[in-house]
Amino acid sequence: MSIRDNAELRDKLAAEYVLGTLKGGARRRFETVMRDDAGLQRLSTEWQQRLAPMGEFAPPRQPRTQVWRAIEQRLGLRRRHAAWQFWRSESLVLWRSVGLASLALTLVLAATLVLQPGLRDAPRVDHLAALADDKARTALLLTADSERGVITVRLLEHAPVAADKSLQLWAVPIKGNPRSLAVLGGQGAVALGLTREALGDDVALLAVSLEPRGGSPEAAGPTGPILYKGAWVRIE
Amino acid sequence: MPDTLPLDAEQLGAWLHGTAQGDAAAFRALYDATSAKLFGYAMRILGKRELAEEALQDGFVAIWHGAGGYRQQLAAPMTWMTTIVRNKALDRLRGSARDSDLNGPVFDHDVMQALHDPRATPIEALLLSSEAKALAYCMSTLDGMHRQVVGLAFFHDLSHSEVAQQMAVPIGTIKTWIRRSLERLKACLAKGERA
Repeated sequence: MSIRDNAELRDKLAAEYVLGTLKGGARRRFETVMRDDAGLQRLSTEWQQRLAPMGEFAPPRQPRTQVWRAIEQRLGLRRRHAAWQFWRSESLVLWRSVGLASLALTLVLAATLVLQPGLRDAPRVDHLAALADDKARTALLLTADSERGVITVRLLEHAPVAADKSLQLWAVPIKGNPRSLAVLGGQGAVALGLTREALGDDVALLAVSLEPRGGSPEAAGPTGPILYKGAWVRIE
Repeated sequence: MPDTLPLDAEQLGAWLHGTAQGDAAAFRALYDATSAKLFGYAMRILGKRELAEEALQDGFVAIWHGAGGYRQQLAAPMTWMTTIVRNKALDRLRGSARDSDLNGPVFDHDVMQALHDPRATPIEALLLSSEAKALAYCMSTLDGMHRQVVGLAFFHDLSHSEVAQQMAVPIGTIKTWIRRSLERLKACLAKGERA
């Protein structure tokens, strides 16, 4: 009997697959068919959702503290607290050239998103920075207008941030600790004063980190992971 | 006490989201809120503390790496994590000689009471996710023996014949009980019936 055309049998097998009573050869055959059968995969997922909560019926037990330490060790989480100092291992000179390489893309973005023709108050932008995630997707665009002394920070997409978290923008200098420029909301645009801290010659890189709500508790720099980074690009 | 915290799907989802972004503090909060439940579950499957601890470790390592692929619209956070820990525990179970205690109670005492008589011990008062409460309600509508059979099979990864042996009931009867129980649970959960 083919299980492809028998809806009742398909559902019964998916249920017993998830419950665990489908065993041996029958279980292996089911898994083989399921590989190319999206409908069967969906049935199994549905049964997973129905039955998995039964796991919560077991009496809770506190694991020993060494379990957490072992997890931390396997994932290298203890070393990660210093991971924000990524620029110490990356060439800041390289970052500047990456900024230049992405100039063309940045200009296209700026033209479509910021420098909309016809706007009466269109800013005279002379510096741009596109901050991207580790998959090179641009998430933030910074534009600087030296004449008016304003930097505008735009989040290109709504970035979901948990209620107890904030995004924080940093200028990373060639030497010394990162300088906090702003704590950002999850969406929209923010205007900042243009300062040497933000746009000085020694600024190698801009970065956004995920921090506790209100910003990093450490004066010396970020405490959370770096989500986006990029460099200033001067435009004429 | 972490195991007395309610397992709020929204909060767990936010921590999972943080975990996906590499936020170690969110991951720690997730562990603190759920590890007692998940360890209790691994203990029920494996019976031995060392094995259950290894399964819990495997589970949380997988949760850290897999958090980016978690989709809230497909499964509640606790359902997703429970499934991961179950699979890790079953891997350990299949890799070792079975000696978990099949004679101990399958369910927590309070849960057992609530399943047996929801009027005396309200399911709403149990420290469970909303998905588990819905399932608990539906399981309370099953015959006690049928409920026991479903629990045995699920927690100990038993075959029909192993369940039959354990319960001293013919295998044909066990197959019928399981099939009917699963059909009833499906229908009851679809209706979203609550006590």
